[in-house]
Amino acid sequence: MNLTLVLATLRQRFTSPIRLVILLLLGWMPMLPILIAPRAGFAALGDCYFLTLALAAGMIGQDLSSGTLQLLLARPVTRAQYVFSRWGAVAAGTFLVVVLQTLVAALIMALRGAPVPWGEAALHLGNNALIALGMAAVMALLSSLAGGLGDLGLLVLVFISAQVLEKVGQFKSWDWLVRGAGELLRVIKPELDLAPLFHGGPVAWIAVISYLSTVTLCLGLAVVVMNRRELSYASSGN
Amino acid sequence: MPPPATDLPAAAGPPPRAHSPRRDPVLLLAIAAALLVLRVILGFHEARQQAAQPAATLSGADAVQWRTLEAGIAEARATNRPILYDFTAEWCPPCRMMQRQLFADPQAAAEIESRFVPVRVLDRQREEGRNAPWVDSLQAHYRVNSFPTLIVADADGRESSRLEGFMGREATLGQLRGPGVSLRWGMTGQLPPGGR
Repeated sequence: MNLTLVLATLRQRFTSPIRLVILLLLGWMPMLPILIAPRAGFAALGDCYFLTLALAAGMIGQDLSSGTLQLLLARPVTRAQYVFSRWGAVAAGTFLVVVLQTLVAALIMALRGAPVPWGEAALHLGNNALIALGMAAVMALLSSLAGGLGDLGLLVLVFISAQVLEKVGQFKSWDWLVRGAGELLRVIKPELDLAPLFHGGPVAWIAVISYLSTVTLCLGLAVVVMNRRELSYASSGN
Repeated sequence: MPPPATDLPAAAGPPPRAHSPRRDPVLLLAIAAALLVLRVILGFHEARQQAAQPAATLSGADAVQWRTLEAGIAEARATNRPILYDFTAEWCPPCRMMQRQLFADPQAAAEIESRFVPVRVLDRQREEGRNAPWVDSLQAHYRVNSFPTLIVADADGRESSRLEGFMGREATLGQLRGPGVSLRWGMTGQLPPGGR
């Protein structure tokens, strides 16, 4: 990972006015249930799936379309470093927003006289860190495949296809299709619940393997796709 | 001006592989491939285990360890976890689908066990003409009129979430992870007349 690239990505993402508006909306909306019912706990904040999407959309594709990627890769930076830096920056940026969100929620709880469940806060942060890392990896792959904000389109397409396949499988009682569609949905929303670690429950190893498999596969494939892209000042970037 | 002769061989040949800006992450790809193989094997193993379980019955086929009502309430009080009531019936197809996809799945079961104290409330009205009194009492208390219905409640009976019907494993787990909700989805089995 390249620190300069990570910082540049964070600066790029957090200075885009549209992104900032979306982040503020997504970051503050979950505060409403806490304001109304401060004892609702940190679960009321939900997960950071859409926050990650807001930060990740076009993480590579926009560089491809705008032609900045050619300039970036003219420097002594490998394409793998570029992909990993983008991934790390998006995940770190999302986690930063989640930490701020959690602290504000804790402050609201404390000011409204409700006990702050710090164990639950740690679980919330841990689970969201894993979602941010996983989703950023998925978006890195999709963004390496499509220019501009095409990664969001690809994500929606895969989501709708998986939903349709799942319904068809349920209608026809084809368990294999339902299972396959479920796996597809798990790939585009990688998450790992740390609750068993916190509450001493049984660890589901298939969940751990599925999560790690999705993250490593998406990152590996993103680098492979980027390595095979021909970039030149004359190319259209797609 | 031509470049110095010492630079020519390096410029003519391909750059050394170690310094190539397009080096593939071989180790990462190898780990990803190994994990993918493991994921497929575990997935097949899990599917075979589920297939070996009797599909027509709800009892005995679950990865979730259902508690009796009394044990569930005591555990909920001791651990400060909410109770997840599964209002279900043998004859109801969406209930069997939910059982196969959700409660028989070790991964989903682990998550449910870590968050809730699971208590199954099995309706026997259609098969036996009547229910155990505690089943009728719970159905009346939580105003259950279709199956499957999942209710999240505390040990004192205060309901915080309600999911009616089954719309898939991921959607159900997603709703159970979130804050209190009240949802009615398609695919329910209606309670028979005079069911409670």
